[in-house]
Amino acid sequence: MIPSRRSFLMGAAVLSATVITPDLVRAAQAAAATPNWALATGDIEADIAPRAMRLVEGRPPVGLEGVLYRNGPAKFRRPGRSARHWFDGDGLVRRFSVSGDSVELAARFVDTRKRRQEERLGAMVMPGFGTPPDPRAEIGSPDDANAANTSVLMAGDRLWALWEGGSPVAMDPQTLETEGYVTLRSDLRSMPFLAHPRVEPNGRIWNLGMGGGQAIVWRLSADGTFEDASVIDLPRASYVHDFTATTRHLVIVLQPWVRERQTMPFADGFAWRPETGTQILVVDKDDLTRRRLFETEAFGFFHLGDAWTVGDDILFDLALHRDMDFAARGASEVVEGVPLDGEPAHLGLIRLKADGTTELTRLPVVAEFPRSDPERAGLSRRLSVHTTGENRETPFARAIGVTDWGSGQTRAFDFGADHVVDEMIYVAKPRAQTEADAWLVGPSLNLAERATELHVLDVARIEDGPVATWRADVALPAAFHGVWAG
Amino acid sequence: MKAFLAAAAAVLALAATPALAQDSTADITFTFETGQPSGQIMVALYDSQSAYDGGGRPVRVERVSVTATSSVVDFADLPAGDYAMRAFHDLNGDGEMSRNPFGMPTEPFAFSNNARGNMGPAGWDRAHFTVAGDTAQTINLAQ
Ligand SMILES: [Fe+2]
Repeated sequence: MIPSRRSFLMGAAVLSATVITPDLVRAAQAAAATPNWALATGDIEADIAPRAMRLVEGRPPVGLEGVLYRNGPAKFRRPGRSARHWFDGDGLVRRFSVSGDSVELAARFVDTRKRRQEERLGAMVMPGFGTPPDPRAEIGSPDDANAANTSVLMAGDRLWALWEGGSPVAMDPQTLETEGYVTLRSDLRSMPFLAHPRVEPNGRIWNLGMGGGQAIVWRLSADGTFEDASVIDLPRASYVHDFTATTRHLVIVLQPWVRERQTMPFADGFAWRPETGTQILVVDKDDLTRRRLFETEAFGFFHLGDAWTVGDDILFDLALHRDMDFAARGASEVVEGVPLDGEPAHLGLIRLKADGTTELTRLPVVAEFPRSDPERAGLSRRLSVHTTGENRETPFARAIGVTDWGSGQTRAFDFGADHVVDEMIYVAKPRAQTEADAWLVGPSLNLAERATELHVLDVARIEDGPVATWRADVALPAAFHGVWAG
Repeated sequence: MKAFLAAAAAVLALAATPALAQDSTADITFTFETGQPSGQIMVALYDSQSAYDGGGRPVRVERVSVTATSSVVDFADLPAGDYAMRAFHDLNGDGEMSRNPFGMPTEPFAFSNNARGNMGPAGWDRAHFTVAGDTAQTINLAQ
């Protein structure tokens, strides 16, 4: 916490100066050290009209048909003021449509009230995860600050762009036209909806929304219709970006990054309290009052894998961070082009045992964005898909890996230093027999070619690299999360 | 935000206060554009920054049933001066600003000039307007 506390105080000192504005200081920093990955947090000025991507490697996999939707921030800077944190840019929803041997790419910004207001003012004025408030902002509801920039969810025949502090925003999955903020029940208007819903293989959707020491638990049917919601109390006001679930339980990991002050930007209200360890709350899906609390050592995290059970034990994988310095500090420096000095996350496995104890296994594998077979969500599985190859200087991955929890082995493909590799999605092959009968589908940003690429890899032979790669004539910044609609 | 809404709801829930006897010079007319035609609109008019920003008494309050997508509220015979207004659409007609479990409003609210606040109510600086003769504003109360 000391580095981020120091940088916060320095930030405050700079703000109090009248001649040297923070924007000037950051521009100077960026000019002094613009890293080659700056495109990954670059600005996109307008929607990307549908265009064909060109096959540049391999051959199109037979039987892969569908659409990869991804979401991530793609507009950070305006003349009058810029966002100060990677998590605060405007959500750009990308649509990679794979059909036969052709791939088409389109992308549209979510047409949020935030974006309209900031376009009108020519300034990024909304307070956010790491962007301080601006007196010009007009905010009457959390959704006025909703960047809709973190993930997407297929809710029946609608595509929802997700943030974590406000409502889902519905879009047309064909045209990516924004349709509006989703109110699931009138008395729950403006309640938060995390960007990490857990979807059961039967389609039922579970999600949380965080409110300090409380969470709303959402339950939706497969078509996105409201089924139930209730508010539960949490033992601490931890930062929760993601949770996980088995078929019978919700698993809520409460890291020791705890909200202690109601302030903006949001991240400034949190303090790192490693001495308090990490708590893990397990709640029965059938009866939210039935709960167990586990404890383990302190770690920071954003992302968990799907959970499963072995006997009465609950297991799940996760990307373990040493602390939450990246959230508090690193993700601001990324968007400002300042080289990082942070330790990348590593893959871990947590076992919550029936006797109430917790086992944490740390693998010496750099990893983020863990994913797995959506048809095995909540069920026993062996494989985790994850990015890898992040290092101290870059927060971005250059490789994609598959870790087998049966063998303990990780196989990976390194795209090289010229690539910023996004999260990739597991897509089962037609008539798949085993968990390894699957493709990974996901983009990278090719920094040398200044172009977005879409890759398909074979899970069984990931180390051989893409079976097919298509290249676009545009370079889109790194995105956070996506879904495959087959 | 929460504190503001509590104060606003309390003030707006009061029965109409009798108009003070004074020289009549102007009418202020608000036309509220709403979404669904249900419930009522609760309106409070203030004649000073201290009352408006400081949770003081409004100079007038009014409530009107919403039976169409447009509703008119008329404050007659007001002296010239500066005013600001806050209103909410009480969709379920319970007389209170409904909120979600985390305390955020679930019913539409608005201020004169269609002013918007910044994580709170629009302040007098954004919402006040000067009345010299009859004055009309159309206020967006749709969600
Ligand atoms: Fe995430």
